[in-house]
Amino acid sequence: MKNSITIGLPSKGRLKDKSVSFFNDKGLKVLQSDKERNYFASIENKPNVKIIYLHAKEIIQRLGDGTLDIGISGLDLLKESEKNLQDKISIRKELNFGEADLVVAVPHDWIDVQTIADLEEVAFDIRSKRNTRLRVATKYPNLTNNFLISKGVTQYKIIPSLGATETYPFIGSSEVITDITSTGKTLEDNNLRVLKDGMILNSKACLLISKKSMGKVNLLKF
Amino acid sequence: MKSKKLSEKIIKTFKNNGFVLSEPDVLLDSEYIIQRSGENFRRSMLSFENEEGKVMCLRPDLTVASCIKFLEKKTNSKIYYSGQAYRRTDKKGANLINDQLGIEILGSKNQLQDDFKVFKTILNSAKIVKSKKIQIKVGDVGLFKKLINSLDMPERWKLRLIRHFWRPKYFNELLERLENNSDIESVTFDTDKKRFYEMKKMDQDKVIAGRSVEEILKRFDKKIKDPRAFTEGEQIVKIIKSFLKINCKLSQLDEVLLKFAKKNDLKKNIFKDFKSIKNLKKLNQKIIFITNFGRNIEYYTGIVFEVFSKKKEIARGGRYDDLLKSLGAKKNIPAVGAAINLNNI
Repeated sequence: MKNSITIGLPSKGRLKDKSVSFFNDKGLKVLQSDKERNYFASIENKPNVKIIYLHAKEIIQRLGDGTLDIGISGLDLLKESEKNLQDKISIRKELNFGEADLVVAVPHDWIDVQTIADLEEVAFDIRSKRNTRLRVATKYPNLTNNFLISKGVTQYKIIPSLGATETYPFIGSSEVITDITSTGKTLEDNNLRVLKDGMILNSKACLLISKKSMGKVNLLKF
Repeated sequence: MKSKKLSEKIIKTFKNNGFVLSEPDVLLDSEYIIQRSGENFRRSMLSFENEEGKVMCLRPDLTVASCIKFLEKKTNSKIYYSGQAYRRTDKKGANLINDQLGIEILGSKNQLQDDFKVFKTILNSAKIVKSKKIQIKVGDVGLFKKLINSLDMPERWKLRLIRHFWRPKYFNELLERLENNSDIESVTFDTDKKRFYEMKKMDQDKVIAGRSVEEILKRFDKKIKDPRAFTEGEQIVKIIKSFLKINCKLSQLDEVLLKFAKKNDLKKNIFKDFKSIKNLKKLNQKIIFITNFGRNIEYYTGIVFEVFSKKKEIARGGRYDDLLKSLGAKKNIPAVGAAINLNNI
C-alpha cells in the first residue's frame, strides 16, 4: 500500500513498554492484538500504520534494508552496526529511556590498573613478556576497537561474546571486558571495576528513521 | 606492456645485486597477522573461514608474507619478491589489489653494509623507472629513541612516547598531557593501598584474570614510586617539538644536530650512532633528512627512506629489527628492506 508505514518496536521488557508509552504520549494509541503473543500491533485511527515487535538488534537491520520505516532501538546497537548500514539510518530523536553505558571493566583486584593508560601499559607488558595479547571480551567489537585504538591501546585481541561477558576474565576466556551497564551492579557483583576514563558510549533509546522513508514518515506527526 | 618491461628491468637489478626470488604464500593465517599488526588491521584484511574453522586471509603485505616464509626456513635471507598484495581500505574506489616489487635482507648481520645495499639497490631501480628529478627523504626512528632516553623524565613516560611515536595523532595528545601535566592519575590511592596490604598476604602465585598477584603488586608499587606526573613537562615537550621540526640537507645534518644539542643543554654525543644515514653521503645524491618522517608504519626501528619524483612516491623502505621476533622468531632477527611502488608508475 502506498504511504503505508511500518514501525519496529523492541519486543521485550522495559524497552517495549517505554516505546509503547512514547507513542501513546504522542497521541498515537498503540492497539495490541487480541492474541497475547502476536508480534503485530496497530495504531488507532491510522489504518496505514503497522507495528511489528522485533529484537532491538533486528530493528537496526530492518531499517537498513527498508522493511521498516521507523524504529526504536538503542544508540549502542546502531553505532555498533556496520558503517554502510548506519549510513542508511538517521537518528530522529534521542529518547529519555533505555539509558546504559558501554564501559571498559577490569578485575577488581587489578589495583594497579585505574585508567586506559594503565591498561595500555599492561597490554604492552603482556605482549613483550609472553608474546600474547591482552584479550578483551565484548558484545561490541566495533565500538570497542574504535575506542581502544583512539586511546593508544593496540596490543589486544577481541574475544566476541554473546552473553555473560562478566564471567570471561574469571574462566580464562579473556583478561578484561567491555560491556553495557546501567547501574554497575552486575559488574560489581562479578568482581569487575570500570576504569576511570573507561566510558566508551553513553547510550539511550533512539527514534530511528530509514533514510529511504524520510518523505512518508513525516505524514506521522511526532 | 610498458610496466611489465619495467618490472623485468627492476627484477634484473635485484638479481644482479644478489637478491634471490622468494615466493611467499598467498593465503596466510589471519591470527598470525593480527598478532603483529593489532586488532585494527583486521578490517583491512580479505579473510574467510576455511573448512577447519581457521580464519585465513589473502596476504595483505609482501614484507610480512616474506618474513613468514623465511621463518618457516623456506627461503634465503637475501630475497626479492614480485607479486600482489590484497588489502581493503575505507577509501572509495581504492584498489584492493596492489602490485609489490621489493627486496629484503632478513637476518641482517652487518647493519651499515646492508642498509647501504638495500638503499642503493632500490635507488638504482627507482632510477630505471624515473631518472629525472629524483628526490630522497630519509629519517631515523632510532634517533628519536635516543633523544627521549637522554631526557630527564619518568621512565614510564619515556616508554609511552617511544611506543606511540609512530601514531602521530595519539602522540600529540600525549605531548599535550605531558605539557599541561594533565595526565589522568588516580588520586585516591587509599582504598587500593589497603587492598595492596591485604593482597600482600595472599598466595603471590595466585592468578587473577591472567596476571599473578605478584605481578599486579609489583606494578602497583612501581607506580607509586615512579609517578607519571611531574612538573618539567613543558620544557621537555618544547625540546621534543623542536627536534621533530628538524628538516635539513643530509650534508648539514651533523652541524644541525650539534646545534640542537647545544641549544637544549643535551650531551653532545647523544646522536653519535647513526652511521647508516651518514653513510648515504657516499651516493652523492641530494638527500633531505627529516626527523618527523617514517612515523606511519609501526615496524620500522631505524633508518627509513622514501624516493619520490614530483611528489609521487616511487619507492620506500627501512630497517625493521623487531618484526621477525613479533612474528614468532625465537631470537632477534634484524632486517632491512624496501619496495618499489608500481601503482605510481
